[in-house]
This record gives sequence, C-alpha cells and structure tokens, in this order.
Amino acid sequence: MSIFSIGLSGLHAAQNALNTTSNNISNVYTPGYNRELTLLSERNASGGVTVEDIQRQFDGFVAGQLNRANSETSALSSYVTQVSQIDNLLADRQAGLAPLMQEFFSSFEDLVSAPSDPAARQGVIGAADTMSAQFRAFDEYLNDMQSGVNSQIRDEITQINNTAAQVANLNREIALARAKHGEAPNSLLNQRDQLVADLSTRLDVELTVQENGTYNLSIGNGQPIVAGSTRFELQAIASDADPARSVVGYRDSAGNMIEMKAGSISGGTLGGLLNFRSEALDKTQSQLGQLAVTLASAVNGQHRAGFDLEGNPGGDLFTVAEPRILGNAGNSGSAEFSAAFGDLGQLAATDYELKVTDAASGEFQITRLDSGERFTAALDGSGQLELGGVLLQIDDATGLVDGDRFQLQPVRGAAGAMENIIRDTAGIAAGAGGGSGDNENALALQQLQQQNLVGGSATFNGAYAIMVSDVGSHTNIAQVNLDARQGLSEQLYALQQSESGVNLDEEAANLIRYQQFYQANAKVIQTASTVLDEILGLR
Amino acid sequence: MRISTLTIYEQSMSSLNRQQGNLMHVSQQIASGRRVVNPSDDPQAASQAVQVSQALAVNSQYADARISARNALAQEESVLNSVSDAIGSARTLIVQAASDTLSDADRASVASELRGIYETVIGQANATDGNGRYLFGGYQDGSEPFVRDASGNVSYVGDSNNRAVRVDASRLMPVADNGNDIFRSVHSGAGYVAEAAAGNQGNVTFRGPQIVDKSNPAYGSAFDITFAVSAGVASYSVNGGAAQVYEPGQAIRFGGLSLTLEGMPADGDSLHLDRAENGNTDLFRTFEKALAVLEQPSSSNTEIAARKNTLSGVLREFDNSLDNVLTTRASVGARMNELDVVDSVAGNRSLNYEEKLSGLVDLDYVSAIAEYSLRQIGLQAAQQAFIDIKGMTLFDRM
Repeated sequence: MSIFSIGLSGLHAAQNALNTTSNNISNVYTPGYNRELTLLSERNASGGVTVEDIQRQFDGFVAGQLNRANSETSALSSYVTQVSQIDNLLADRQAGLAPLMQEFFSSFEDLVSAPSDPAARQGVIGAADTMSAQFRAFDEYLNDMQSGVNSQIRDEITQINNTAAQVANLNREIALARAKHGEAPNSLLNQRDQLVADLSTRLDVELTVQENGTYNLSIGNGQPIVAGSTRFELQAIASDADPARSVVGYRDSAGNMIEMKAGSISGGTLGGLLNFRSEALDKTQSQLGQLAVTLASAVNGQHRAGFDLEGNPGGDLFTVAEPRILGNAGNSGSAEFSAAFGDLGQLAATDYELKVTDAASGEFQITRLDSGERFTAALDGSGQLELGGVLLQIDDATGLVDGDRFQLQPVRGAAGAMENIIRDTAGIAAGAGGGSGDNENALALQQLQQQNLVGGSATFNGAYAIMVSDVGSHTNIAQVNLDARQGLSEQLYALQQSESGVNLDEEAANLIRYQQFYQANAKVIQTASTVLDEILGLR
Repeated sequence: MRISTLTIYEQSMSSLNRQQGNLMHVSQQIASGRRVVNPSDDPQAASQAVQVSQALAVNSQYADARISARNALAQEESVLNSVSDAIGSARTLIVQAASDTLSDADRASVASELRGIYETVIGQANATDGNGRYLFGGYQDGSEPFVRDASGNVSYVGDSNNRAVRVDASRLMPVADNGNDIFRSVHSGAGYVAEAAAGNQGNVTFRGPQIVDKSNPAYGSAFDITFAVSAGVASYSVNGGAAQVYEPGQAIRFGGLSLTLEGMPADGDSLHLDRAENGNTDLFRTFEKALAVLEQPSSSNTEIAARKNTLSGVLREFDNSLDNVLTTRASVGARMNELDVVDSVAGNRSLNYEEKLSGLVDLDYVSAIAEYSLRQIGLQAAQQAFIDIKGMTLFDRM
C-alpha cells in the first residue's frame, strides 16, 4: 500500500512541477515576473516526495540596485528628450536669431549710404520687425516648454499617486494572505515589486522592507509616501515663489501641504523634468531675455541720441519688458518691491532669491539661482537696492519681516515683450542733427554690434554663441551620461534576469524531465496495482 | 552566467536599435552635408561656427558698403571732370579777352560764351545722384546747395560736412565732398593774388606777383601798395613804409614777392596783395567779376586799366580754383583705389572665414560614406544574429 502512496506523492509532485514549469513558460514575457522553482524534499513520515515550496527566485538586493539605476537612467532620458527640443531649435542656421540680428545691423548699412532714402528706412523697419518677431517666437517656444513641463509634472504625480495607492493596497492584501495562509501568493509579491520598479522610473524612491514583509516607500528627505497600508499624496501645486510654476507638493500626516524643495527629487522622469527646468530651460530663457533687453536698450539709447527726418529727437525703437519681482506667498510682511533696469552691464542670465535676514536694517541674503552663490546686501537710505543690473525700490521698509522671501526675475521672459514700435519711415533717427544727408547716428547704431554690451563682456552675436554652446553642451553631456547609464542599467538588468528570468530552453527541458517523472511515477502505481491484482488473484 | 529568454531578446533589440540609430545619424549627416547637425554634436564647433558666420556676414556687409561708396565716388569724379574742363575753357576765354585788339562788341560776345560756361558750372555744382539727392550740399542734400540771390549772384546754402561710410572694420571713408571744399576753397599753397582798389583813378596795371624768395621774413602777410603823386613825381609805399620812386615798367620787390607795374598812377591809388586763401576763393564770384567787367564797355584809360587788372586777378583765381578741383578729383581717385585694395583684402578674409566655417561644421564626405557602409554592415549583422538566435530553441527540436 505504501507503494501507492509513494507513487501518488510522486505524481502529485510531478503535477506541481509541471504546473510551475507551464506557469513559467506562459509568463516568460510578463513584466515583473520572477520565475518559480519547485523545491522537492523527502517526505519523512511514509517515504515519497513532497513539494516543500514553490520558490520565487527574487533577489531584493539586485532588484534595489536595478531600480536605482533605472531611476537615474529615466531622469537622464527625460532630460535628454526635453533639452533636445531646444537643441533642435538652435540647429537651424538659416532662420535662427544670429542671421536675423545680422540682417538688422546690415539694414543700417543702406541707411548709412542713403540716410533720407525711404526704401533704406523701410528696410530698417522691416528688419527690426523680423528680428523682434523671432525673439518673441523663440520665447514663446520656451514658454510652451515651461507649460509642457508643468503639465507633465502633474501627469507624473497622478501616476505616482496611483501606483503608491496600489502598493499600499497590496501591502494590506499580502499581510492578510500571510495571516490566513502563512504565506503570500507569488503573483501578489511579483505585482508589488513591479509597482516599486515602475515607481522608481518616475521618481527616486527609497524602499524599506519591514520585518513582516511590508514595503515602506519614502522620497526626498525621508518623507514617506507609502507606510504599510496608508499612503501620503503628492500634488502638483503652484510654487509659493512664483505662482506660474508647478512644483511637487507633499501632504503630510497632519494634512499640511509642504512644497518640496528644489533638488529633493532628482531621479526618475519627475527628477529629470525638474532638473531640466531649473538647469537648462530657465537658463536658456534668461539668456535669451538678457540678449533681448540689452539689444533693445542699446539700440533705443543710441536712437534717442539722433534726430529723425523731421528734426525731432529719435524715440524708442523697441519695447523693453520690465524686470519681475515677486513676493513669496508665504510672506508675513506686507512690503512690496518695484523694479526697473539700471546698469545693464551688470545684467546676468539668472533669477535671484532675496531673503530678509534683518528687517530693521533692511539686510537681505541673496542667492543666485543658477550657481547657488550667496551674498548679502542691504537697502540704502532711500529704500533702494541695486542687484544684477536691476534697481529695486521698496514701497515701505517697515513692512519687512525676518524670513520673508522675494524672487527677482530680471530677464526671464523679457524676449517675449520685444516689439518694434516705429512704423513711420520718417521716424528713424539716422542723423545727429545735421540735415537730411546726415548719417552719423546710423553709423553709431551700426557700431553697436561690435561693442561688448551683453553682461558687460560679450557682443550680441557672442552672447548668442554662448547660448548655443551651453545648450549643445548640456545636451551632449546628458546624452553621453545617458549612454553610460544605459549600459550600466542593461548590465544590472541582465544580472537580475539571470536570477529571476525564465529561459525557455530550460523550461522545455523541465517539461520533458517532469513528464518523464510523471510517467515513471505512474508506472510505479501501475506496478503497485499489478502486485495487488496478483495477490487478489490468489485462490 | 544564466541568461533568461527575455535578456536574449532585449539585448538583441537594444543592439538593433543602437545600430539603427547610428545609421540614421550618419545618413542625416550625409543628407544635410553637415557634420554638426545639432549643436549637441559638437558644442564648441557649433558655437565657433556662430561667431565665424557673423564675421562672414559683417564682411559682406562692408562689401556692400564699398559698392555704394564706389558709386558715389564715381559720380563725383565724373562731375568734377566736367567742372575742371569748364574752368579750363573759361580760363582760355579770359586769356582771349585780355587781348588789347578786341573791341567792346568782341568782348561782349566772349562774355556771353563765358556766361554759358558759368551756367553749366552752376548746373554741375547742383548735380544730383540717381535718387535725387544733391551731391555737393554736405548734409543738406534735400535742396539745391547753390542758389541765386536777388542780384543774380550765386551763394552756397549747404554745409561743410562730408558724409562718411564704414567700408571696413576700422575705416570710415568720406564718400562725398561738400560745395564749400570744392567750389569755395583754394589750396593752402596757392600763392598770392593782387587786386587794384575799385576807386583807382590812374591807369596802373600790374603783372604777377611772382614769388621769388619764400624765406623772406615778411613773406606770408598782406601788402598794401599806395601811390602818391606830388609835383609830377610818382612814388609808392609798401604797407605805409618808405616812399619809393615809381618808374613805369619796373618790377618792385617786397616781402619775397616781385610785382611788375605799367602805366601812371593817380594820387591815392592803391593795390592790395594777399595770400590766395584770404582773398576771393569762390569760383562763382570769380565768374561774376569777369562777366561784370567784360559786359561793360570800357573806353577811358582808367576803365581799361581796371579791366586789365580785374582780368589778371580773375585768371589767377581760375588757376587756383582749377588746382583745387583737380586736387579734390585726385583724392576721389585715391579713395576709389583704396576701395579696390580693401576689396581684395576683404575677399581673402572672406575666403579664410569660409574655409574655417567649413572645417568646423561641414562633412567630410569620404569618411562619412565609409562610416555609412560600416554601420550598414553592423545593422545587417545585428539583424542576422537576431534571426539566428530566434531559430535556436529547444521547442523546435522536441
């Protein structure tokens, strides 16, 4: 009789093994699937074999490494995708800003040769129109990218919240299953690990496995988003410093919405987006604005020094945007600043954060947002502060409170306001007051293109070349880093797969093996049956 | 190391993707003819290319400037050519008119020829360029620079500015000369002109003055020669100096100058000598003086002497004006030559810039096509490997 039970145990084991093998085969391409091994061991009580465990081949350490690598790769990948758009825009040499700026200054050449010729004057107006239109178009493109980044951040956060909710759910189900059956179904565990992997590509999460097997996830500086079966939500909120900008907000256990600081999320698609925005997009927009403001102001200044065809002093040729200064939404004081351009040679392509360190004496700690450089400055007697080429005027210094913050955006977005305002050919100031044949002001306007006016050290074309070089470098470096990281990710993936991946040839061999196993055990039962029949057939 | 089925496929796929990406990049380079398609392909080269393109464009901007400068100067030169011819003809007429054998009627016909030349020169002084802008008015090019006043005399209402154009990075070239400089000036080395006072009653005529000694300390200042006749003896004094006896036909010397006098003065007659630039330098005034004296009949000795002295002064003034116009024409010619030189230098510079730009961003077709073939082979190999691996599965042999 015991032969029966031994054979039966073998059949049972073979069935299990075949089950596991076919599960592996059918899930060979399922993302997140970890192959299962049937662990057999001797049945001590009455002989035979027992299935000890259907063991899931999962290495948490390698999985963690892979997730971290994927996090960085996704960040770089989303960075490269975004910055390539700006790179492609600057690739066009025929229709870019540089040739249009050159045409604008060339139009002064005709004016110099024939100052009172209406065709030459119309040429100047036309070139001014085309060039300022291109500045506006470029800025609009970058603005579109800003709104694109804002909405992508929102989308990512929605996905992140969904995934975190699912992880929290699975934590609960797995805990329940463990409580009921002593072990959790492999499919749930696989699902949970896959969700964590997916989450890692969206932002850099830190995984902590508790003793009872619960997964806790945290982000940034340790803020938890999944703790057991509770989850904490992220939200895309308007930044306190600049309401036009979406940032990541975190709702903590007390229900407060905290704005996550810049740099606290650096991995995954979300980190890549945030990095791109602060490093490349803001910088390029500021550089463009710096060029636009310096060019427009220089041309305006020289134009005003001349006289038009009717003998009147020249007016402004271009509109120039005002610098923006925003009070932080969390400020407790009521003071407000107004801003105007001062010494344009000090204008830099960056935003500044001003923080009140001593309200009584009007002292501020100022941070350059592109380099992180810090310095202090104070209001002078009349409530003025000169910073980076901008003159700030406070309306009421008593409204300052320690800790209040302001953000100064001197040139970001300024290119969008550049427009040609002179339409009448007689309004072009070619002369210095001498008569209709006087071309001295036109000569001076022409010479502006050789002067180092941008930031006090670069010509207009030079500043544009710097912008091209910066964008090209960022893209190039990110691309190279991405290639390197992708190589690493691929290696880690191969390592993880060597542990957890299904090999069809191996499973095919297993099928054959376990089939034979089944047939052999069936034969055992047949033999036992034959023996019994023999005994029963005795008279 | 154990390899899962997924790894096999994914590695093949990523290798295929990479090969395809590389092939696409090379074909994009070949299609556009540029090695640096996006700035990220070579940021330094892209940035330098922006700068070099600018230098090229500025160069061609100056080339355009030189074309318009050359046009302006060529027009000016041709007008000055006609003006110098006209002054030459006027001078010949004056020499003709100075002959003693002409009658009043003959002189009147010479005067009408001279008036014709006068009108021609006025017309040329008011010449316009192709756009209707007046060439010789300085900055006042909207209306005629030389206008007639109520008495029929010509005066200048332009200014003394010369319009300049930038023809090269550090060369601001004047492309026009104003009416003052051309028609109302003389060279600083133009010597002396003598003039008889209008109220002279005697019939002294002069020839000269010749310059004999420039190192004389008194040379360079103005001289007044006054005549005194007392008791039938004529004497002259230079600048109120000692009275000298006057002999007709003698050449008197003073201040490094020599003046030959003929005829007899009346008491109180005077002659005034000064450097040419302090006297009348206006070409049109010269014409008007000549016409005034030729159109008047002259019969008395005094009138004849006055006519002779005026014509002598007019001849000298025409010489000086002609010199001035020719000098201006020479300067115009020199500027046009300079434009030619700058053109060739700038042409070389342009060529250098284009070479540099090409070296930075243009594609070396030979190496690109070689790379294209290489990548094609790489892609084909990756595709073949994928097919081979797909065929190697145990399931096919079961």
